[in-house]
Amino acid sequence: MLEIKDLHVNVFGKEILKGLSLTVPPGEVHAIMGPNGAGKSTTSYTLAGRAGYEVTGGEIDFYGEDVTALSPEERAAKGIFLAFQYPMEIPGVSTMNFLKTAMNAQAKLRNEPELDAAQFLRTVRAAAKELNISEDMLKRPLNVGFSGGEKKRNETLQMALLKPRLAILDEMDSGLDIDALKLVAEGVNKLRAPDRSFLVITHYQRLLDYIVPDVIHILSGGKIVMSGDKSLALQLEENGYDAVINKAA
Amino acid sequence: MAKVVSLDNLLASVAARRSEAAPWLGALIDAASEKFAHVGLPNRRIEAWRYSDLAKALHETVKVESDLDAPPALAEACVAAFENGVLDDSKSSYCAMGAQSLRKVLAEKDSPFAGIIGRINPQADHPIINLNTALMEEGLVLHVPKGVTLATPLHLRFNWSGVDAASADGRHLRILVVLDEDAEATLFESHDGAPSFATVVTELSLAPNSKLTHVRLENFAAAARQTAATVGSVGEKAAYRGFYFSQGGHFARHEALMKLAGEEADARIDAAYMVADKRHCDNTTVMDHAVPNTTSTQVFRGVLAGSSRGVYQGCVKVAQAAQKTDARQLSRAMLLSHRAEIVTKPELEIFADDVKCSHGATAGELDANALFFLRARGIPEAEARAMLVEAFLIEAMDTVENEAMRAIVIACAHTWMLRHAGEASHVE
Ligand SMILES: Nc1ncnc2c1ncn2[C@@H]1O[C@H](COP(=O)(O)OP(=O)(O)OP(=O)(O)O)[C@@H](O)[C@H]1O
Ligand SMILES: [Mg+2]
Repeated sequence: MLEIKDLHVNVFGKEILKGLSLTVPPGEVHAIMGPNGAGKSTTSYTLAGRAGYEVTGGEIDFYGEDVTALSPEERAAKGIFLAFQYPMEIPGVSTMNFLKTAMNAQAKLRNEPELDAAQFLRTVRAAAKELNISEDMLKRPLNVGFSGGEKKRNETLQMALLKPRLAILDEMDSGLDIDALKLVAEGVNKLRAPDRSFLVITHYQRLLDYIVPDVIHILSGGKIVMSGDKSLALQLEENGYDAVINKAA
Repeated sequence: MAKVVSLDNLLASVAARRSEAAPWLGALIDAASEKFAHVGLPNRRIEAWRYSDLAKALHETVKVESDLDAPPALAEACVAAFENGVLDDSKSSYCAMGAQSLRKVLAEKDSPFAGIIGRINPQADHPIINLNTALMEEGLVLHVPKGVTLATPLHLRFNWSGVDAASADGRHLRILVVLDEDAEATLFESHDGAPSFATVVTELSLAPNSKLTHVRLENFAAAARQTAATVGSVGEKAAYRGFYFSQGGHFARHEALMKLAGEEADARIDAAYMVADKRHCDNTTVMDHAVPNTTSTQVFRGVLAGSSRGVYQGCVKVAQAAQKTDARQLSRAMLLSHRAEIVTKPELEIFADDVKCSHGATAGELDANALFFLRARGIPEAEARAMLVEAFLIEAMDTVENEAMRAIVIACAHTWMLRHAGEASHVE
């Protein structure tokens, strides 16, 4: 269960989130939509604990614990996963080695046994196959030279392997062709579970056709200004943010 | 504590050495010592030593740690073990490949190497090489005859325990490697511990079509003071492949002074240096393209932590006759701390018009975005930093083809990272 209460966040001295409140119960999928610059990525980075995103007020409770003081790795170990809007290219770090280090690090932080080499390979290969990720991609340096869609599939792979309790997907659909979009959405749907929740950030109704949300929130000016069921996305698609938000106000 | 190395002490030692020398050696000593006496120990007023003031460093007091890292053991190598600057035959196996001690060669009235030592790529005005020539005593001479490929590497293992390292005039070691036509050999040089003051000059003569692989590892303790030079001449279609790893020291400098002396000669150096605390690490290269159609490449990558200082001076000389020279040089530094410093000084002296010469230098910090990405996947900060440091250096370390040597290099890098990569720059 994620409970964000009256969250205020400064980025480089400027207040971007201005009293954001949001609750995502276990097992639910919530979508966040909102105009460019509304603070969606800021929300996702703040949840993941990025340096420079200073919480000046409010709380982020995750399964009853305030995580605002925790490091990114501690949050990851607690089960918070961020699929990046722009996944980083890291030359010199092989994808395989990265996956192994991440899985083992999380196991260690959670006091769980590490996977042995054979188990690890089997697990990764199986998960990669479902996402149509080739052996060759796994051998390459992390995201280097990957197409936009390949990067997003790689993010989905990491999510599948790390099995988070909360997955934040920041514009998972940007840069994806229709087939890749389905593939990624299927990957996400497969992970839907009673003890796992999702926060899906998107600009488009289309993604929400595949990943059907329980609740849609509209983030504007650093706050949730409106919440509703999936029909809200259709209204937005037809009328745009201004009209929908102003009508409600 | 180390005794102060003074010019007077050094010159007195030279005089003593001179009186015992065979005529051929005496002539060499005279020429070198005259030049050395004129310039003295290099200090920052000499342009090439501007960022590495040896005279000053020798006057500073250093404290030798008690638990020094042991030198690496390279399986299946012939070893020449130098303990505190003295060749220790009881720990060596160099005879098996036909090498001989320098001491023996210098004592000969008429040595076949008399015309070679100091003459491969002469550096008449180099203060340290002159000092080394005037005082060289210990070392090794390896001659690989025509067409011979040495199956095992020669491991030149310099280890300074710090006990006997204190000496009024330092220790001056000379290595001579002569490859005849079509010969091939691999040199593995390791430097460990803390010499109070050492100079090491390695002369390499590569006849046409020969190939030398040269892996150098400076794994000094913090108190080490050494300045070394690899001086070579690369003949027609011959190849020099160097890989240098260094952790710096109180004063640690290495110069690669290579002459591309025959057409289609090629010299390539890849280097990784990792420097922490208050250490100093100087890499200097001079690629001297003397004839047409030669190539040289230097890629230096450094990681600097603490308040360390790295220096990279890369000079490319292209003689007027040396058309179609292809020379590339790249220096990349990663600063892990705001107090660390890198000085890069490229120099191009080009007298031919049809050449390709490129050089580039970058200095930056660890990529904060990449660091966050790794941490957001659960990788602890210190480990994430180490991964990124390794990622930055791995390209250099991967150029070491010999697997055992590569493993040693990577292990050294890992040890360093365990000790230093976690040092977070943003808390300073
Ligand atoms: N590093 C930064 N320095 C200054 N301002 C920033 C920084 N990062 C974000 N902002 C500002 O914060 C606001 C919110 O940005 P954010 O990236 O969260 O928007 P978003 O809702 O994700 O937009 P988009 O739909 O375009 O992805 C924007 O006005 C942006 O310019
Ligand atoms: Mg965004």
